[in-house]
Amino acid sequence: MDLITTMLIYWAVIIAVYVMLNRGIWIFTDVSKSMSLFMLEKALGPAIDFAEGRPGSGARAWIMQGMFWLILASAFTFCGLWLDHDPTALHSLGSWGYSPSSETLLLAGNLVALFGAVGMIIIGAGLHIVPSLGETQLASERNAALMSLVWTASVLIIAIGAHEPVLLGLKVLFWGTAVQTLALVGVIVNQLLTAASRTKRMAFPAWLIIIGLLSDPISTVIVFLTGGLETGLGQWLLVRLISGGFFFLQVAGVSLYAASQGTGNPLWSRSLAAVTLLGALLTLNPLGQTTGTLAADLLGFEVASFEPSSKDVIAGSFLMALASIPIIALSSNILVTMRGDDTFMENPDSPGMPEVNLGALMLIPLGIGALFLQTDALTSGNELTGISSTLTLLVVWLLLVPLALGSALCIFPAVTGRNLMSINRSRWAFWMMAGGAFSGLIITLMADFSDMALAEAAVVDESTISNELRAIGSVLFYGTVIGAILHCMNMVNGILRGSFADAQATPSSSSIEPSSYNLTSGTTVRKILASGANLDTEVVPISQTDDPGSPTEL
Amino acid sequence: MSNDDAGNIGEFLQGEHEPPSSWLFLVLGFVTTLIFLVLFSILYPGSDLPVISSMLPVFKGVFDSGIWFFIFGVMIGVFAILGTMLTEATSE
Repeated sequence: MDLITTMLIYWAVIIAVYVMLNRGIWIFTDVSKSMSLFMLEKALGPAIDFAEGRPGSGARAWIMQGMFWLILASAFTFCGLWLDHDPTALHSLGSWGYSPSSETLLLAGNLVALFGAVGMIIIGAGLHIVPSLGETQLASERNAALMSLVWTASVLIIAIGAHEPVLLGLKVLFWGTAVQTLALVGVIVNQLLTAASRTKRMAFPAWLIIIGLLSDPISTVIVFLTGGLETGLGQWLLVRLISGGFFFLQVAGVSLYAASQGTGNPLWSRSLAAVTLLGALLTLNPLGQTTGTLAADLLGFEVASFEPSSKDVIAGSFLMALASIPIIALSSNILVTMRGDDTFMENPDSPGMPEVNLGALMLIPLGIGALFLQTDALTSGNELTGISSTLTLLVVWLLLVPLALGSALCIFPAVTGRNLMSINRSRWAFWMMAGGAFSGLIITLMADFSDMALAEAAVVDESTISNELRAIGSVLFYGTVIGAILHCMNMVNGILRGSFADAQATPSSSSIEPSSYNLTSGTTVRKILASGANLDTEVVPISQTDDPGSPTEL
Repeated sequence: MSNDDAGNIGEFLQGEHEPPSSWLFLVLGFVTTLIFLVLFSILYPGSDLPVISSMLPVFKGVFDSGIWFFIFGVMIGVFAILGTMLTEATSE
């Protein structure tokens, strides 16, 4: 089946699901709700008793495990970058049966970063954000906490599969995906039950998260049913759909929420949030890998050759170019929300805010770069294939990780009840991570271009300049590893010994300026004064209505 | 301040503010690294930087690459996190 037909079926199904969820033709009756809740808890038997059921424990479990995976992902990527210029650096591990190459380490790093770090952090953040925006409780904290362990097991299997695709005759990556699907179903049912018990109209970030979760199984089933998983085009299409659905939509949801909560500013535009949601569903996101091998490997299919027809090339290029609309909408919405009434970011030292700001800033340049790369690959030009791997790393470490991590840091006090151990350490970790990833990967990109130029000129001699650049790039990327460790240490210490977060503190206190205070909701004079205002501060009421064009309170 | 007050300043004053120790160690580490690199390039011009096995021959064939310095750094960080969790979990 061609690309546009598959996309038409996908659009019809996903829009039908969204309308059913949002507009009253509710798929969950009381009986199915009770049954689903039973499946989430009692049906799991004694296993569920191992999980904690306190409020926030589900989100905390997912976020903290995501942080541990972040360290491993950055370490894998660092080693992969190092082995690119020094292939025998880890040869001594061969005596233990472990002989990784640069490719396997980079693949493991990408998979662990995407599914382990980013995946777990955004799911964890979503488990806090959806109930918050619906003013309700998560349907099952115990199931959420338990499923985090199942997901972690799946990431472990996937990390092993990236090194050894076949063990004991089994396709390891496929079994990792199978285990992951189990956890994903649990999370989706949990979030749908939570949304079903909402007591108020949920803002767009919550829908971005829920639709992002649902888009993963829906797109996989549709591509499978249309026979696409056995073709190169279908495999490529599935990678695009998962990239634009599961990752982009969820990251958009959590980062829009964090941008508002962290700065105290209302969400700038509901229209742009809606454009982000619809745009991500109706277009093909160019961010991510240029081939469909990942989809084939993870689902246990043979990698098929990529031979799109001219109609598929035109449709694919058009849909990817259109993806710039949701990308620009998300970037501008986050950036303006964080800045509020002026050009300066509110709360720049607040943990998480610099990360979200960096991710939002990198959305447009990386989106344009990825569009060029994908179009080149789709049209079989393959002139930019040499930078494909590094651009994927840039998307992971300068876009997805900062947005997910920043959101997690922002909601950390609300989830755990305690503040991070040190704002100073958080700031240091940001500079280490951002500086390491940016400088290290840009220099690696320079080495890629150097290799491409030499290959084009048919130079036979091995380039020492490229190797030296790769050495510098990998050493600089080490800052990202240190940053991940610092962040994780800060969160672990925060959970154990951090100061208690004041449950009554309103995030809007951050929007106080010496001369004015934007009053977005009812509060006491004591709180306004405690937040830094003085007797000369002008209190400016801002209406919070559902009228079009008015700010959205999250 | 007028010149008439100059006579009052005759005693030793000592402030209480100190730079954070993290800054001190950071600057110290940066300067030490820089000095080491400069000194090494003067003493052994054109030579590669030493790796663990060149300093400790007992590890020859095992830690023959500079990547092990970085891997040990990661291990220290990971064990610091694990240590924090264990000690906090067992503290009274």
